[in-house]
Amino acid sequence: MEQNNQITRLIGQAYWLIKLRWLAIAGVCAATFFAGNIAGVSVDDVPLYCIAAALALENIISLLLLRHIPGINTVDTSIRKIIHFQITTDLIALTILLHYSGGIENPIIVYFVFHMIIASVLLSVRESYLQATLASFLIIFLSVLEYKGIIPHHCLKGFVTCNMPQGLTYILGHIFILVTTLYIVVYMASSISTQLRNQEEAYRQANIQLQQKDRIKDEYVLRVTHDIKGYLAAIHSCLSVLANGIAGALNEQQADFVGRAYDRTKKLTSFVRALLRLTEMRLSDKFEMAFFHLKKTVSAAVESVRTKAEEKNITVSSDIDSLTDKVFGNQFSIEETVTNLLLNCIKYTPENGTVQVRTKDNDETVLVEISDTGIGIPESEIDKVFDEFYRASNARKVERDGTGLGLSIAKQTIERHGGWIRAESREGAGTKISFTLPKHSLKQDEKQIGNLD
Amino acid sequence: MKKEKILIIDDDPDLTKAVKVTLESKNYTVITASSGPEGMDKINSEKPDLLILDVMITAMNDGFEIARALKKDPKHKKMPILMMTAVKGKVGIDFKAEAGDPNWLPVEGFLDKPVEPQVLLSEIKRLLPSKS
Repeated sequence: MEQNNQITRLIGQAYWLIKLRWLAIAGVCAATFFAGNIAGVSVDDVPLYCIAAALALENIISLLLLRHIPGINTVDTSIRKIIHFQITTDLIALTILLHYSGGIENPIIVYFVFHMIIASVLLSVRESYLQATLASFLIIFLSVLEYKGIIPHHCLKGFVTCNMPQGLTYILGHIFILVTTLYIVVYMASSISTQLRNQEEAYRQANIQLQQKDRIKDEYVLRVTHDIKGYLAAIHSCLSVLANGIAGALNEQQADFVGRAYDRTKKLTSFVRALLRLTEMRLSDKFEMAFFHLKKTVSAAVESVRTKAEEKNITVSSDIDSLTDKVFGNQFSIEETVTNLLLNCIKYTPENGTVQVRTKDNDETVLVEISDTGIGIPESEIDKVFDEFYRASNARKVERDGTGLGLSIAKQTIERHGGWIRAESREGAGTKISFTLPKHSLKQDEKQIGNLD
Repeated sequence: MKKEKILIIDDDPDLTKAVKVTLESKNYTVITASSGPEGMDKINSEKPDLLILDVMITAMNDGFEIARALKKDPKHKKMPILMMTAVKGKVGIDFKAEAGDPNWLPVEGFLDKPVEPQVLLSEIKRLLPSKS
């Protein structure tokens, strides 16, 4: 996945170069027009416009080449080749442009520096020096040809003085300064760039280590929780025999104490189950997704909480748009999520309230909203409700023993589907939990989830 | 009416005892075994009507092996199996029971321990409908 990130970034940089070149093309045309028509410089404008056209052609070729690489599966050398092609062509174009716009006397010659910087950032150190060498060779080659009169020297009258015919020292000095500048720029830029790359690599390694440690922690939690659950199951079963009077009737005080112990055992059990579910989900890289009907799934969830809602005379309604019926995901875990969110709503909604499930078509995703007329979440705590073990202060007053894991599990589930989940609330008025589900298969995301470890 | 016989194979003696007492209170005959081999012996000698089976992680997926072996055996294929276990998900083993894959885990019922007595009893009623 890291590799993919690097390649994606490299592709982005290749596109960035293309974008810069469109600006350069516009610059060449504008400068040529300005110099020739407004500033009165004796400029040979046809070849310059031709160079602009050639650069445009280069851009189109680069775009086509980039389109043809099969995405992130490409090895980065083929993208590097495209970048190489671009920089090399640029250097040649700049040399020809220089020739038609006054040769090495034209200060535009410093523009070679840009390409050195770009090469140092995007390519390896060796490749950058190679580009510097090419640039130096092109400048020297051009100067020699012009000096020897093999090709004519265009003078930019009205802009720079024409020194070519007389000054060998001038030419040599000029070239010397320029060539050393190019190499020094490459040296500096690639040193900084290498430093940054190493730093990034160090951060990346640190991040991988953190992820590994997190995994070890999860595995530890899973193992411990499993052991606890085994003991808990035995305690629960033994207490259930007493609490249900299977081993004979208890007196009032005995029944009271056994009942309390049994209740707390049941709550601890549900906490342990939730913790296991969350940890298992975080550790598992398998997540089977398929198309399923949201309407049926939500109806099943609504039906399963019906009794609980009726106990408090709460109306639970669902309104599923048929446009949003087909979604892509793990049906089991979505039904579980919707059921748990509904149970949450019922738990924190006073008698005679309402709980609603609604869906909206949201282009690539389906938006599911579950809202209630419950106690709400205090504004200062709304960002924390999805944190593990966090319980809102007013929720703790309603129900002393909650796991604080319900919304974390929901978040984990939705994020594994590539969606987001959030809460909106006004204390005392109600809460709305919204989340998104994909409408289409997200093969790439699925793969990334699989590769996370 | 003849009482239905239920065999519990589980290596947790406390839990086994509690389940046994709970079932006996509803007039089932309950026999127990604490390991796979002992369980297989009792299946052959006692011919129970239903089997409550634990995964018994300590003995390397013993429960799964028993379930698969029984479902392949024509003599025992018809005996319903209720898998009851505290082990779920990943602790060295892969568990697809909640996705309901009958080929992978050939059991008729599955409960995650601990189980409320009412839930256990109604599940047993579901698995032994004709006789109860």
